[in-house]
Amino acid sequence: MANTDKAGKSPKQQPAQGSTSAAGVTLPNGDNVSSEGLADNVFKIAGAVGVVALLASLGLGVSAGDDLAQFSFSYLVAYAFVLALGLGCLFWVTLQHLVNAHWSVVVRRLGELFAANMPLLALLSLPILIPIVMGNHALYVWTDHAKVEASHLLHGKAGYLNVGFFLGRMVFYFVFWSALSRFWLKRSVAQDLKPEAGVTRRWQGIAAPSMILVALTLTFSAIDLLMSLDAAWFSTMFGVYFFSGAFMSANCLLALAAMWLQGRGRLVKSVSVHHLHDLGKMTFGFVVFWAYIAFSQFMLIWYANIPEETAWYKVRFEGDWKYVAIFLLVGHFIVPFLGMMSKHVKRRRGALTAWTLWLLIMQYVDLYYLVQPTRLARVLEEAPAGEAVNATLPFHLLDLTCLLALVALFIAGAAFNARKKNLVPVNDPRLEKSLAFTNL
Amino acid sequence: MSTDNDKANDTGSAPLHGLLAEYDNPTALVRAAEKVRDAQYEHWDTYTPFPIHGMDPAMGIKPTVLPWIVFWAGLTGCVVGVGFQYWTSVIDYPWVISGKPFWSIAANVPIAFETTVLFSALTTLGAMLALNGLPHPSHPLDLKRRFAKVTDDRFFLLIEARDKKFDATDTRALLESTHPAVLDDVAEDRVTSDKLPTVILGALAVLTTLAILPFALAYKARVSKSDQPRIHLVPNMDNQPHIKAQQESPIFADLRGMRGDVPGTVAQGNLQEDDHLYRGKLEGGAWARTFPKEIAPSEQNMKRGEREFGIFCAPCHGLSGHGDGMIHERAAALGQGTWVQPTNLHQDYLRQQPVGELYNSITHGVRNMPGYGHQVSVEDRWNIILYMRALQRSTAAAPTDVPESERGALK
Ligand code: HEC
Repeated sequence: MANTDKAGKSPKQQPAQGSTSAAGVTLPNGDNVSSEGLADNVFKIAGAVGVVALLASLGLGVSAGDDLAQFSFSYLVAYAFVLALGLGCLFWVTLQHLVNAHWSVVVRRLGELFAANMPLLALLSLPILIPIVMGNHALYVWTDHAKVEASHLLHGKAGYLNVGFFLGRMVFYFVFWSALSRFWLKRSVAQDLKPEAGVTRRWQGIAAPSMILVALTLTFSAIDLLMSLDAAWFSTMFGVYFFSGAFMSANCLLALAAMWLQGRGRLVKSVSVHHLHDLGKMTFGFVVFWAYIAFSQFMLIWYANIPEETAWYKVRFEGDWKYVAIFLLVGHFIVPFLGMMSKHVKRRRGALTAWTLWLLIMQYVDLYYLVQPTRLARVLEEAPAGEAVNATLPFHLLDLTCLLALVALFIAGAAFNARKKNLVPVNDPRLEKSLAFTNL
Repeated sequence: MSTDNDKANDTGSAPLHGLLAEYDNPTALVRAAEKVRDAQYEHWDTYTPFPIHGMDPAMGIKPTVLPWIVFWAGLTGCVVGVGFQYWTSVIDYPWVISGKPFWSIAANVPIAFETTVLFSALTTLGAMLALNGLPHPSHPLDLKRRFAKVTDDRFFLLIEARDKKFDATDTRALLESTHPAVLDDVAEDRVTSDKLPTVILGALAVLTTLAILPFALAYKARVSKSDQPRIHLVPNMDNQPHIKAQQESPIFADLRGMRGDVPGTVAQGNLQEDDHLYRGKLEGGAWARTFPKEIAPSEQNMKRGEREFGIFCAPCHGLSGHGDGMIHERAAALGQGTWVQPTNLHQDYLRQQPVGELYNSITHGVRNMPGYGHQVSVEDRWNIILYMRALQRSTAAAPTDVPESERGALK
């Protein structure tokens, strides 16, 4: 590491050519790493699609006349999906700094751009938070004072699960995430203009405590937004469960983004098959990690067989939901595990694109499976014993429009962040090693 | 050549093993390797202090088959893990644990996971050694002093003399053209034995013996008998610190370890509302004179009653119910003063007694007789009475009890 810092001072590491402005740089290898002529278009198109879809979702949601129930749940799934991508990227970037990774420098800027969406994600959390403030109880039972008073269990948790504290935590999460992600992007872009000696080391120092806070905030946000849907239920594994999917999907996103940019003539020489191979390996690793965590959570609850814990799974094996459970096991683990095992798959662009897209879909299915059965659980709770309850999957147009809106806005946000910037940290002292990186 | 530096070997008579080129940087070695590869040598190798990216293609080494071997080993481990658990928990020793089915895949996953990893890991090691022809206790290069630097900052390339293309002058010329820092002959090793050192062989033998020992002990325990108390290998699992029946527990104010039901609750399936069936009483508290509707006087129930009577009552009351069971005989033989003879069940007052009262006697006991309610199920208590009634009838039957067709035989 000391080496790299020294390298930062060497003449080789003068600001990349012609960089009075950071953008519009060509790397020594002749690669085009500028976002010029791409970011603006993506921002406009994705932004327009996102805004229209968001307005449509809001319109559909309000006109459904179900007290926002369908909208809230559909929106929450889609929101969890993009939040996971953003948090996954934030974790990813922090991790690269923490371990002083060389290989990843050529793709790190992409991670920084996606992670820097945190302020946008804060804004997009409003359709969840505003109804809560306005006294809508569609999502979280514990926001309903009458229900809390009636239930001994909820009452006992009211010290943590109450609207005021919940909102306070949300503000804290987003302030921290925004600050950290904007910091990484800003410092990294500043380095494009003016390399600074010793900053690699300093970033590493900042990454260490940040990592702990990222882990804690990620865990608690998962508990607050997703686990508290079923306020009586708890699993100490829930945070890391959400993390496993978040980190996996972030790696998928980075691989896809890099390959997409290469199709547009950017990063063509910088990001090699070796970098893609490594992103593929990370994805593969976290496919396995997800299965490990998901199964650990399931097995402990299955074995102990305590009603207050099994209730959560009981609903998720009810009716059509059990097919979703099996689909997750097969589609989120067994098939990708066998399919992505070979290095040839990870080194072939077509195959890697197909697998990462597939896993992003599975990540959505996973979140859908975490969130949506909550509604069935509430119906079952109210239903008289022995009465048949409709346990088919609650697909709704809003699921699609919300997902479209949030994914489009997420992409638009990253494109907005990328305007007038390089797609590679051109003056990072580790760049040379990253460009020369091979992994066979 | 400069074999002077080398360790003792009677180089004079030892045949040539190969030609060794030394380089002072990895790039030069990679270039040289490409040349040797293109000259199509087969028996040659490179030696470096650390792995060099790009060396495999430079040497023309094909991707290893190791991953495939490991893949199949992992799969085997998985199948073995699941299969072994199936055999132990379904076939060899079926045992209900936590009310789960004998074969519960979910419970098998962690162990199958471990065996998969274990088989893969051990196979990776074993196959890697085998594919590389290791262990290889002696190598001619070990005798080269300068070769020791391969662990530090020097890079070597060796072409062996046994290679078909090897030619003393041509090969030398080829290596010369790669500009090595030093180019050297290597003589065969005549000094070091190619066998594993005795120390290692001995240690392996000891380890193998130790590894077999537990199995041997387990086998001995299975085929022989012992009057020694068992050895507790994991004492805190064998003797868990839980409260046993009748023990005190400091957790509760009344110090009673055994807890009753929570007030106002009834355990699943223990509501027992039906007075007739569960207590032998009618509404108003009188003893029931009829059997509850659940107990039909069927042959099956009668047989069941006979069986249960034989188990629970006959030891005292005797198989025929005359109060002369084995326990009574023994107590009488020993002249036990406090012993009360079990009642002869063929007495009129018992013939007249309501079945409900008999049921109560079995359940809670009567005077000196203990109760059997906690041992005999509700249904079986009634079945016993059914059988008892048949017994009583057998010693006081009227001619009318015999079927008409058979009555002629009585006279
Ligand atoms: C441990 C020996 C023992 C066993 C086993 C036993 N009894 Fe008794 N039983 C006695 C004795 C002793 C008495 C007399 C008690 C007394 O008079 O104090 C007795 C009395 C009775 C009586 C007379 C009760 C009365 O109202 O006078 C009946 C009926 C009876 N037993 C039925 C049974 C039945 C049915 C079983 C099997 C479930 C059974 N006993 C098992 C020892 C036993």
